[in-house]
Amino acid sequence: MIKYIGNRLAQILILLVIYVAVVFFLLHSMPGGIEAVLATNPNLTPAARESILKAFGLTQPLPVQFVLYLKNIFTFNLGISYSFYPTPVWTIIARRLPRTILLFTTATLIAFFVGFASGKSLAWKRGKTSEYVSTVVGVIAYTVFTPLLIFTLIWFFGSYLGIFPLNQFLNPDLWIRTNLNAQTIFLYLLLTISLIGLAMLASFAIAQKVSHRVKTRKIIFYISTAIAIALAVFWWAVSPVGIYGFDILWHMILPVMAVTIISYAGTMLVMRDSMLETIKEDFITTARAKGLPDKVVRDKHAARTAMLPVITNFVLSMGFVVSGGVITETLFSWPGMGMTLLDSVLAKDYPLASGALIFTGIFVLFAHLVIDIVYAFLDPRIRY
Amino acid sequence: MKPILEVKNLKMYYNTRSGYVKAADDVSFVLNEGEAMGLVGESGCGKTTTSMAIMRLLAENAEIISGHIYFKGKDLLKLSEEEMNKVRWAGISMIFQAAMNSLNPVYRVGDQIIEAIVTHEPNVTFEEARERVASLYKLVGLDPKRMDNYPHEYSGGMKQRAVIAMSLSCNPDIIIADEPTTALDVIVQDMILKEMSRIQKKLNMSMIYISHDIAVIAEVAEKIGIMYAGKLVELSDSVTIFKKPAHPYTVGLMSSFPSIKGEKKELVTIPGEPPNLLNAPDSCRFAPRCPFATKECWEKEPPYEEIEPNHFLACFHPQNLRKQVSEYARG
Ligand SMILES: Nc1ncnc2c1ncn2[C@@H]1O[C@H](COP(=O)(O)OP(=O)(O)OP(=O)(O)O)[C@@H](O)[C@H]1O
Ligand code: SF4
Ligand SMILES: [Mg+2]
Repeated sequence: MIKYIGNRLAQILILLVIYVAVVFFLLHSMPGGIEAVLATNPNLTPAARESILKAFGLTQPLPVQFVLYLKNIFTFNLGISYSFYPTPVWTIIARRLPRTILLFTTATLIAFFVGFASGKSLAWKRGKTSEYVSTVVGVIAYTVFTPLLIFTLIWFFGSYLGIFPLNQFLNPDLWIRTNLNAQTIFLYLLLTISLIGLAMLASFAIAQKVSHRVKTRKIIFYISTAIAIALAVFWWAVSPVGIYGFDILWHMILPVMAVTIISYAGTMLVMRDSMLETIKEDFITTARAKGLPDKVVRDKHAARTAMLPVITNFVLSMGFVVSGGVITETLFSWPGMGMTLLDSVLAKDYPLASGALIFTGIFVLFAHLVIDIVYAFLDPRIRY
Repeated sequence: MKPILEVKNLKMYYNTRSGYVKAADDVSFVLNEGEAMGLVGESGCGKTTTSMAIMRLLAENAEIISGHIYFKGKDLLKLSEEEMNKVRWAGISMIFQAAMNSLNPVYRVGDQIIEAIVTHEPNVTFEEARERVASLYKLVGLDPKRMDNYPHEYSGGMKQRAVIAMSLSCNPDIIIADEPTTALDVIVQDMILKEMSRIQKKLNMSMIYISHDIAVIAEVAEKIGIMYAGKLVELSDSVTIFKKPAHPYTVGLMSSFPSIKGEKKELVTIPGEPPNLLNAPDSCRFAPRCPFATKECWEKEPPYEEIEPNHFLACFHPQNLRKQVSEYARG
């Protein structure tokens, strides 16, 4: 297993270098770069122009710039943003990446579980009206034009019902009275969610070790998960920063809803198909013949096996999550990586744009790695 | 001898877009305690359909039109799904035709057997169940250490044995073995069949062997039922079936397959194809291939009757036809 992860990390490193090269040369081949802007600015003397270019390292030939850039990435030195001069790109990314991770990990996990559970029961109840209705709704959600969906959500929940904030990722009136950094709260939130996740994993593993009875295992798992969540809620409730965490979560609901709706249907439809295929397998007939209750046949035998292609599909759809992210973040004014990417490209802020692209890439590659490891755990036929 | 399973006038059809496929049509037989019965017939004649009906594992489009299946006096067709789940595996277990794919690829083989045990006997602890699996593994000739392997780590023959061990795991009264050895080579096939027969006699279980090969069945079954096109056409003890076959199809079947033991017979096949079971006509279904078909055979179905004690037949012209059919087939 360790060796497998090591190999995968090496692969990721190679992929990353190739990816950085593509990002770098693509962005530099875009017309109207900073040189053009400087060259057409009549207020600059040639000497001033030269010194600015030199300061940004733009006088050297492109391949040399690339090698320097590559070297710098590994020390988190991504240069200085043009548009937020003199803030280093890394500072901007460190501030914004957690927002994106929080938003997308939450939405993706919810979407996966909703899609998994609904796809599973759809296939099990095949032929009923509820199946047709859900499938049609799923296909609509899957193919809907993202901005249309987002505007509808904003209009309905933000404007018509007025229950969720319209835009921004926090309420400035609230935050003005504190010198707390939103970045810190985001990190706390991420930490809380990771801890809950770890607690769930640990209790799952412990339950497997402690008992062989499915019921006992389930009880152990649910109780410890409930305790972990209760502890987290309690901590946030009594902590003085709780209100700020709540503010961020409150602002997060609509974007999470949007991303969930956009991505759950893919999982649901693939799960449904995969489940319908699995039901025909002989081992499902065996499970039935063994006299196992219907639910056990569905969950333990059919869904557990049908899940594998769904995970594969999930990996493939990661790219769409990124492109959807740009639209979602921009429309919700959620200042994460997607919005940064769009703004910096529009502002021709190369260092920031490449930094944003590269860290989005790193995020996706690591998400792949995590999913691959999970897959290897779930499918005993995989050899590392 | 006490009957343990009585199938009475079972009709199970598949409802398809083009009509009913009469896959099990008016099938009746009795299986006694400790008895081994064989069910023989060409591919597609409804052997699997009949056994699936007994387990009540119906395909989505399957319909039980009429009939009764009495197991220990209770009609299985009238039980609720929960009650039926108690009969499955603990009362009647099955070795499926596709034994190779009968195991779930994501669970350890031993665990899949343990699952059956603890489902039906909740008081058995995990350790006791493991011990039982270990002894079953020894019984079928598998190394108990292999319990913790996954199905893909087993060879075909090992999977077959594991599936047999699984079918024995809840001490069922009846095991239905649907072509338990077709996927294996002849030598392993013979070995496994003999082992199954030995276990069956030792544990005094009832058994239904299903095969298209009457020679294979003859070695293990005391009683043989011949199926043709969804119908049981002849049923008797194996000696009678071999010595005095009365149905032309039975005779044809016997000359279709070389016997493993005994004198070398010439291999003759029955000319023609089995009929399409879709909207099967009300004539003798064997008539198109039968050299003895008369006008009567084309007009109505021969009734399934006891022509002598414990010898059932559905044919208008029962006689000792063996010699004549062989001659006919040879041309
Ligand atoms: N779900 C189904 N829908 C329609 N027809 C079916 C269905 N399942 C089986 N049949 C048909 O029913 C008939 C009997 O099938 P069955 O599987 O019982 O045959 P079998 O005797 O077990 O054959 P084999 O030796 O090939 O296993 C065949 O003609 C088959 O085509
Ligand atoms: S009933 Fe007639 S057609 Fe049918 S098997 Fe007997 S002799 Fe042949
Ligand atoms: Mg069959």
